[in-house]
Amino acid sequence: MLEADDLAAAYDDHLALQGVTCRVAEGRTVALVGPNGAGKSTFLRLAAGLLEPSGGRVSVGGHPAGSLEARALMSYLPDTPALYDDLSLNEHLEYVARLHGVHEWADRAAELLDRLGLDSRGGDPPGGFSRGMRQKASIALAFVRPFGVLLADEPFDGLDPPSRQALDGLVAEAAAAGAAVLLATHRLDVVEQADGCLAIDDGRLVYDGPADSAEVAKLLSS
Amino acid sequence: MSSDGSRAVRDLARARRRRAYGDIDWMDALYKVYVTAIFSAVGGSMLSGWVGGRPVTPAELATATEHGPALVGLVVAVALGGGLRSGGRGGPLALQPADVQLVLLAPVPRGLALRAPAARQLRFSAFVGTVTGMAAGNLAAQRLPGSYAEWVAWGGVAGLVTGLGWTGSALVASGFRLGRRWAGALAAAAVGWSAADLATGAATSPLTFLGRLAMSPLDGVPFSPLGLALLAVPVVGLARVGGTALEAARRQAGLAAQLRFALTMQDVRTVILLRRQLAAEGPRRRPWVRLPAGRRSRPVWRRDWQGVLRWPAVRVLRLVVLGAVAGLAAAGAWRDTPALVLAAAAALLVAALDSVEGLAQEADHSVRRDTLPVPPGRLLVRHLTAPSVVMLAVAVVAVGGAAALGGATTAVPVGALVAVPAVLAAVCGAALSIDTGPVNPLEVELFGSAKVVIRSVGPAVLAVAGVLPVLAARAAVDAGAAAAAGAVPAGVAVLMVVGAAAAWLAREG
Repeated sequence: MLEADDLAAAYDDHLALQGVTCRVAEGRTVALVGPNGAGKSTFLRLAAGLLEPSGGRVSVGGHPAGSLEARALMSYLPDTPALYDDLSLNEHLEYVARLHGVHEWADRAAELLDRLGLDSRGGDPPGGFSRGMRQKASIALAFVRPFGVLLADEPFDGLDPPSRQALDGLVAEAAAAGAAVLLATHRLDVVEQADGCLAIDDGRLVYDGPADSAEVAKLLSS
Repeated sequence: MSSDGSRAVRDLARARRRRAYGDIDWMDALYKVYVTAIFSAVGGSMLSGWVGGRPVTPAELATATEHGPALVGLVVAVALGGGLRSGGRGGPLALQPADVQLVLLAPVPRGLALRAPAARQLRFSAFVGTVTGMAAGNLAAQRLPGSYAEWVAWGGVAGLVTGLGWTGSALVASGFRLGRRWAGALAAAAVGWSAADLATGAATSPLTFLGRLAMSPLDGVPFSPLGLALLAVPVVGLARVGGTALEAARRQAGLAAQLRFALTMQDVRTVILLRRQLAAEGPRRRPWVRLPAGRRSRPVWRRDWQGVLRWPAVRVLRLVVLGAVAGLAAAGAWRDTPALVLAAAAALLVAALDSVEGLAQEADHSVRRDTLPVPPGRLLVRHLTAPSVVMLAVAVVAVGGAAALGGATTAVPVGALVAVPAVLAAVCGAALSIDTGPVNPLEVELFGSAKVVIRSVGPAVLAVAGVLPVLAARAAVDAGAAAAAGAVPAGVAVLMVVGAAAAWLAREG
C-alpha cells in the first residue's frame, strides 16, 4: 500500500507539491492525472524515494519511501528509460533480478520479452534501440522482479498498440496479484480502465475518487 | 536479499571492468601515453625556462617566506570551497542515470553502491592534484632557493592532499546533504580563514599548515605535518557517501554527460550553459535595476543591458574575481614571470564569455535572429558594445588587483594604457567563440580549412594578443624608455587585429 500524508515538495523557492494526502490500496490500480507541470512526476519521485519531501511523509507498505524495505517493495517505471549502454537487455534483466534477490529470473525474463515483442533483441545492448524499444525494455525491467507497489510515469508513451496491450495485461496481472498500482497519465483510455483516480493541479490534490466520474472527464479535457 | 544484491553489484562492476579492458587497444593506449609523456616533458621544460626569470630578491624571498604558506593555503581553500559548493548541489559523483534507476532504487545499501564510483573519483582527483602540485613545485624551484627534488616532492604531496580534499569536501557536503546555502557558507568560511591568515601573517588555518608543507624547502618555513590532517576529509566523505541525494545525483549525472560531450566537441557555449545549469545559476527574476522606458533607436544596446541587469550575484562576483586574477597575473608578468600573461588572458576571455550573453542568446535562437530585418553581421557587431562596457569595469578591477601586487604608481598608468586593447580583444575573442560555434568533425577531417583553425585557436590568440602590450610596456621600461613607448604601438597593433577580426565576424555572421 502507498500512503501520503500532508506531503509537500519544494524546488528552491518553488513549491511543487503541497498538502497531498492520499492512499493507494493493495490490488487497486489508480490513475494519476493533471496538466503539465502539475506535480505528478514530483509525487511519483517522492514515493520512489528519489526526492526528499520538504514536508509531510510518504510510505510504501508502511515503510518510509526510500528506505531499504520500501525499495524492496516498490517498482518505479520512469518517464525516461535509464539503461546501460554496455549491457545487453538480458544482462540488464539478470542484474535487476539479482539486485532484488531473484535467482530464477530467466523464464520470467523470456516471457516478458516475448509479450513485449523484444524476444529477438535480448542479446543486444540498448544503445541502438528506438525510443519505443527502450520504453519496452524499461517495462521489462520493472516487471522482472516482485513488487508490492508499482509507480509508473507515462508508461504508455511511445508504445505501439500491441505493446500497449501487453502493458495493460501486465498491470492487470500485478493488481490481481495484490500490488498497488499508480499510473501517471494523460490518456483517457488508461484512466477509464483504472479503479480510481487522483488529480493534481498546481501542486495540490484536487480530486480523489472513482475513475469514471464526469469530473475526471472534465479534468482531462481541461 | 541485501547480500545477494551486494554480490550482484560487485559482479556487475567486475564484468563491466573486464569488458571495458577487453575493448582497449593496448598498443594504441601505450603509444598515446608515450606521446603524452614526451609532449608533457618538453612542454614542462619549455614552460620552466620561460617562467624561470631571475632568482627572487632578498625582499621578495622574505615576502615568500612570510606569506607564501598562507597564499598556498588560500589557493587550497578556494579549491575546497569549489568542492563544497559542488557537493551542495549534489556533486561530485556523476552517476549514470541507469545506476540511479536500477541500483540505487534497489534494496542494496547505497553506501556500498556509491563507494566504488566515489573512490574512482578520489583516485582521479588525487592524480590531477599530484601532477599539478609537482608542476607548481617545478616552477617554484626555478626562482626560489632550495632543493629541486624537495620542491617537486612536497609540491606533489600538497597537490595530492588538495585533490583528495577537493573531492572529499564535495562528498562530505553531498553525504551530509548540506544544501547550497550551508555549503556556500562553509566555503566562504574556509576562504575567509585563509585570507585572514594571509592578511595577518598568522598560521591558524589547517590549510596554511598545508601551505607550510608545500613551501618547506624554503629555509625559514617550519615543517608542519598538521597540514596532512586534511586527509580526514576524504575519509569522512567516503564514509558518508550513502547519504547522497538521488535526484541531485541524477540531475548531475545527466548534465555531466552532456558537459563531457560538449567539451569533446569544443562547444564552448554549450559548456557555459551546462555549467550554469549544474551551478543552478539562473537569471534573477527581478533585475538589479529596472531600465526606464527605452527609445526605439538602440534596441540591441537596451536588450543587452536588460540581460546584464538580471545577472545573478554569483556571476557578478565571478567577474570581479576574474578581473582581480587578470590584474594579479598581469602584475606577475610585469615582475619577471612573462608566462603569466597567459593566465591574465584566460581570465579575461572567461569573463568576456560571460559578458557577451546577449550575443550568445541571439546565436542560441538563430531562427529568431534570422527573421529580424537586420543583417546578422551588423546585429552581431552591435551586440559587442554593452559587453565592452562591462569588460571595462572588469578592467578597473584588474587594475586594482595589479595595484595591490605592484603598487598603484605603476599599475594605474600602465593599466590605463593596456586596458582598452585587452578588453576589446577579449570581447572579440569571446564573440568569435560564440558566433562560430562548435568545431564540426567533418570540417576537422578537411584539415586546412581556415575556419577550423580560426574556431579552434582564434579566441585564445586574440585574448593573449590583447595582453601582450603589458610585456611591450615592460620591455620599454627595461630599455630606459617610458611604458607608453612600448604599450601604445603594441596596443594600436592589437586594435588593428581586433578590427580585422570584428570585420571578419560582421561578414561571416
